[in-house]
Amino acid sequence: MTTKTKRDVREEARARMAAQRRAEARRAYQIRAGIAVLVVLAVVGIIVGVYFSRNTAKPAVGRAPASAQLVAAVTGVPAATLDTVGKGKVDTLSKSTSGESVRMVDGKPLVFFMGAEFCPYCAAERWPLIVALSRFGTFSNLSTTFSSSTDTDPNTPTFSFHGSSFTSKYITFQPVEVETNQPASGGGYTALDNLTSDQKAIVDKFDQGGGFPFVDFGDQSIGTAVSYDPALLAGLTHDQIAAQLKDPTSAIAKAVLGSANAYTAEICKLTNNQPSDVCSSPAATAYSGG
Amino acid sequence: MPSWLPITSLLIALVGLGASIYLTYEHFTQNATLACSANSVVDCAAVTTSPQSRVFGIPVAVLGLVFFVGIIPALLPVAWRMNTKLVRNGRMVASAIGVCFVFYLIYVELFDVGKICEWCTGVHILTIALFAVILFGTATLDPLDD
Repeated sequence: MTTKTKRDVREEARARMAAQRRAEARRAYQIRAGIAVLVVLAVVGIIVGVYFSRNTAKPAVGRAPASAQLVAAVTGVPAATLDTVGKGKVDTLSKSTSGESVRMVDGKPLVFFMGAEFCPYCAAERWPLIVALSRFGTFSNLSTTFSSSTDTDPNTPTFSFHGSSFTSKYITFQPVEVETNQPASGGGYTALDNLTSDQKAIVDKFDQGGGFPFVDFGDQSIGTAVSYDPALLAGLTHDQIAAQLKDPTSAIAKAVLGSANAYTAEICKLTNNQPSDVCSSPAATAYSGG
Repeated sequence: MPSWLPITSLLIALVGLGASIYLTYEHFTQNATLACSANSVVDCAAVTTSPQSRVFGIPVAVLGLVFFVGIIPALLPVAWRMNTKLVRNGRMVASAIGVCFVFYLIYVELFDVGKICEWCTGVHILTIALFAVILFGTATLDPLDD
């Protein structure tokens, strides 16, 4: 065998060993890469698993009949107080629709509310809605409750329309509370009221996302968000909030009564400005510009 | 280098970039619509407008945008063909940092905000997928010259 051939043999052997080392290095790297990816997936799995296994869904305070005193305070806000507040301080107003005819139920324009007892934004919105509607009719069987204890703005004091009734010669009010504030197994909250087919059609038309609070003023104006920050009500009792409504300079009065005045203006458009004392008041005309 | 490597990594990053652009747009243009979702857990608006949507004052969506914009050059075919320590290690470190940030964001979504945003989850999945592709793809390359 010549020297060149021996060198060739040695170089081939070295090349094979180098290739083998590279293959082993790649295999080792692939194993480490696989372990790294598995670790990443495991960490994500642990975070998600811990969250869903925590079961921190604490039951919220359920419904209780609203006291006569509380109902009187919220449904009987003096007209002078509402007039003084005027526009108040409202963050979000309902939006007018276009080309829609007034939706009537039982011969009267419909005001439809969809909410859920867990929802903190619905919790805030019921206060001005009750104030406004009370200027056109009478509530019965209102209940007090609180929003979810684990959601944003936890335990916001509010009312529930579930089981309540509203009588009025001017409008028909249909409230639907689709869920409670009680956690359901598997997540979410337990179901409560069902939408009728007509109500579902309203939601499908004006609230495709199905979010709430949702308020439909005769298909003429639609509200799909809370009109003020629910944090204003944090830490207060129902009676304390009702007491704040008496002071037109308080932040709660400006927010709640200002929103109520905006709602009153929308309802007046549906009722041909009836009752006249309500619809011609400075409270109602603050938003309608009448 | 396998032919699937640059194409796959680039595609993942481009989709991630698109999602980040959308989330950045939503962050800056969406008025925090204060409404509850019918699904009390999945709520993109709540997540993208939450206080936790900013880290050190910088919107998380923008950080995601910067991540994908920054890593895309390292995923181009020419970059994969470069057998330099800087490009290879830089690519892996960047994707590892991205994954660590995903851990933080998932934790914040679930434990602080209490809501999930499907778009954010999509970006998280893409970031982890990119990490896996970069790792396994790097394993197919020739070892670095010492």
